[in-house]
Amino acid sequence: MILATEMVFQPQVLFTIVMAALFGLFVGAVPGLTATMATALLVPVTFFMEPVPAIGAIVTCSAMAIFAGDIPGTLLRIPGTPASAAYTDEAYAMTRKGQGEVALGANLLFSALGGLFGTAVLIVAAPSLAEVALKFSSFEYFWLACLGLTCATVVGTGSPIKGLVSLLLGLFVATVGLNNPAGVPRFTFGSVDLMGGIDFIPAMIGLFAVSEIFRYVLGMSPDTSGAQTRVGNLFTGWGRMMKQYWRQSIRGNIVGTLIGALPGAGADIASWVSYAVSKRLSRTPEKFGTGHVEGIIESTSSNNAALGGAWVPALVFGIPGDSITAIVIGVLYLKGMNPGPTIFINNPQDIYAVFLIFILANIFMVPAGWAAIKSARLLMRVPRNVLMPTILLFCVVGSFAINNSVFGITIMLVFGLLGFVMEENGFPIAPTILGIVLGPMLEENFVTSMIKSDGSFAGFFERPISGTLGVLTLALWVVPLALFLWRKFSANRVSPHATRG
Amino acid sequence: MRINDAILGAVLLAFALVIGLYAQSFPAIPGQEYGASVFPTWIAIAIGGCSLVLIAGGIRHWAETGAVALASWARSGHHLRALAITIALVILYILVSTPLGFIPTTFITLTVLFGILGVRLALAPVLAILLTMAVHYGFYSLLKVPLPWGVLTPWAW
Repeated sequence: MILATEMVFQPQVLFTIVMAALFGLFVGAVPGLTATMATALLVPVTFFMEPVPAIGAIVTCSAMAIFAGDIPGTLLRIPGTPASAAYTDEAYAMTRKGQGEVALGANLLFSALGGLFGTAVLIVAAPSLAEVALKFSSFEYFWLACLGLTCATVVGTGSPIKGLVSLLLGLFVATVGLNNPAGVPRFTFGSVDLMGGIDFIPAMIGLFAVSEIFRYVLGMSPDTSGAQTRVGNLFTGWGRMMKQYWRQSIRGNIVGTLIGALPGAGADIASWVSYAVSKRLSRTPEKFGTGHVEGIIESTSSNNAALGGAWVPALVFGIPGDSITAIVIGVLYLKGMNPGPTIFINNPQDIYAVFLIFILANIFMVPAGWAAIKSARLLMRVPRNVLMPTILLFCVVGSFAINNSVFGITIMLVFGLLGFVMEENGFPIAPTILGIVLGPMLEENFVTSMIKSDGSFAGFFERPISGTLGVLTLALWVVPLALFLWRKFSANRVSPHATRG
Repeated sequence: MRINDAILGAVLLAFALVIGLYAQSFPAIPGQEYGASVFPTWIAIAIGGCSLVLIAGGIRHWAETGAVALASWARSGHHLRALAITIALVILYILVSTPLGFIPTTFITLTVLFGILGVRLALAPVLAILLTMAVHYGFYSLLKVPLPWGVLTPWAW
């Protein structure tokens, strides 16, 4: 613990965290640029850092970006990140009623509290889960990876089939190269560059950042002129809101952390679910949508709590809770801090350092967020036609820097186009990244397990934990399918007029 | 631009067939049942299955949506040209950055990109050179990324 404190409280580390915070606030506050994109752009830079500042930068940047997404949502009705979309209309309605500062103040306060709650859960849950996870073998890890991937396709918004296709494409990408249990070159077509596999960093930069640049070039980005950017005292009513809405805040925190911990679902989904829960359980549901702070509090708590929650499976099992932690897992491997239960035994100081940074980041959010809200006018007037080429340049240099090879830029471009086409046609892109990150783990554990059990599938169900996980996973596969068929069957029998609107 | 699911499904089906068949050529490991081809084959089968569902759904909605629903940008020559130039600039960067060097390539790329996105013509090269040098300083000098010097090698620092 003392070691961890020493690792964190170094001028260099603190400086990195502050810079990452400013970067995250900026990217989050500019509509169209997401928290995942902020993380993706940051990764090439963290590549050259020590593990602790590298992870610290990512943690801080993602927390700030999720909060900052609320700023343009409240002032312009354009969510800065998808995680703010759930309550954008509500917050904008408050701005129109002249209560913009109350909405923003609530966002700031409850984002920070939500983040701290998620962190507390992470600190308590992760080490105890890690003890359980120590007993896991390749069978359990195989099922966990399956479970994570399944959640990624089922939980996401939109068509599950398209989510599944997106995931399978990611898994396919992961098979390219020499890096497989058999050590056979696959899908390399004689290219030396492809032997090493498709690096996930350029792929992710392409999917999350370059595709957004294409959308901008095609004139599909939101217009941000005409913002109401005069904001009064942010701290108005903090005490009153705490007293009146502590239940909503805690409920949002719990729901957010749980959804965050669920593999594949992150801050975006957490905030939608929490907003809906808040409306359903509210004593005054009729006020929702008219500029009422209650739902905002619950979902803004939720999306920041989800960040901490997502780290639990990421650190303990190496299974990402959302697309940001999918990136983090890649970075951890690069830094030699392989996620998994052993990290809690071999490098506890690293883990404590991550916890400390989480706490610091959420406390620092209050002054930094205040400054960001005050300079909202400036942030939203940044000319896009200068900003977007700058981001493209960062993408190109970042993709190059991973292996010092222009092949990285080629990967970036291909995935940028792929991401663009996928999003245009309703295919979510987060499952692709999960597939690329989890693919090798899935295959390795499967092959190891098969060798251990002499090629018998029964081995996957023989151990108690692995059997439970296996049944759970299979249930997740079979139940939605059965429900789908059942609904079709009954819809055919009941007249079509029976459906309610 | 929304393409009908049936067309996307057909493309995916073809892709699945190609990877599935190609995977059968991977050498097996003697004495082991689960070699390099197992996973790609499974993935190919799964993608194939999904593509059939997409094709079926796409055909059902074909009457409403048609083959392709064009977004507004797809009918705008200006926007399409901008996209084509952006992609071409990245390809240009991939091809010439090593022989020509980071600084000249980036300067040219950025100036053109600023130009097509409507930055004032007098301002574009100034911004481009400032940005190029700033990124060069950050990545080359601070982060020690060996950005290529190309034709400027005699003046490298």
